Amino acid sequence: MSNNSDDSAAIDKFKKGEKAAFEELVMKYQDRIYNLCNHMLGNSHDAEDAAQDAFIKAYQNLNDFRPEASFYTWLYRITVNTCLDNKKRPFFKSLFMTSDEDEEYILDPVSEEPSPEKLYESKQLGLALRKSLGKLSLKLRTVIILKEIEDLTYEEIADILEVSTGTVKSRISRAREELRILMKNFREQK
Amino acid sequence: MNCSYTHILISPYIDGELQEQDMRRLENHMKVCSKCRAEFEESKELHNLFANVDRFKTPYGFHTRVMANISLGKTKARSRIPVFAGLAEGFAIMAVIVLGIFSGTQLTKGFMPDKAKEVVVSFSLDVFDPAPPGSLGGVYLAMTEVRNEK
Repeated sequence: MSNNSDDSAAIDKFKKGEKAAFEELVMKYQDRIYNLCNHMLGNSHDAEDAAQDAFIKAYQNLNDFRPEASFYTWLYRITVNTCLDNKKRPFFKSLFMTSDEDEEYILDPVSEEPSPEKLYESKQLGLALRKSLGKLSLKLRTVIILKEIEDLTYEEIADILEVSTGTVKSRISRAREELRILMKNFREQK
Repeated sequence: MNCSYTHILISPYIDGELQEQDMRRLENHMKVCSKCRAEFEESKELHNLFANVDRFKTPYGFHTRVMANISLGKTKARSRIPVFAGLAEGFAIMAVIVLGIFSGTQLTKGFMPDKAKEVVVSFSLDVFDPAPPGSLGGVYLAMTEVRNEK
């Protein structure tokens, strides 16, 4: 997934007191972390806060990071936990937060110049996918995002979530099953 | 190989996480089982849909804000809705509810008692005569009274 030796070099510099080395890691992973937060939380406001919190926590705990572990799985673990904490927001706060659930996923059109019908269909599918994803339980949503959007292996996901690969396998299978049903319902409603 | 076992294998097959032997068994099963083949095709279609999803990019200046928060010694990113703003909004909702109840009471204060009286009167037993004079029931009651007097 990423060049671990580059990460190790930056982490070594950081541990030797060169705190600015952390910025290299932020710049390298910021898009992935923000993307993960946005898919997990469903809105860009919460996503930015959560992504910032994740990097701040990583900075505060980087001295305890074990060099034999993978930095990005460690960072992903912090991010996933930050997003899960964010979901447990106080009742009043949740009343005033807007959800971007109605903002559709933008699906890349297959052909270079798609017809308006194809574009419309792609937009509708993107919207249905985002809504369906929002209906999954947090456990299933997390695992399917890490697999389908972050393109991680079962082993990496197991490492991030601190569960067995068997658990990852069954959760992904269940998430796909629920998503297939939700997407089928969407098509039948059309 | 039965369908319930195949069902478990479909997802890891799509993700390329299946052992060679299981892969061959699944492929052979799907050649003869239309139900499992349909399930695989639907799951594959879903997988392809995700593959086309665009990625969200960090807003402009994100890493600068992260580093600024770190250098300021913040332990948490500044929330878009500060706690005091959340509380203020909570109080605003409570105020609207209380105001609604109060103004509703004030508005109905003038005419509600009369209306209520009318309603009570209309259901009162005083105005309800079970056997009005001239009705069959009235005649029957009158005859009973005469008989009793005798």
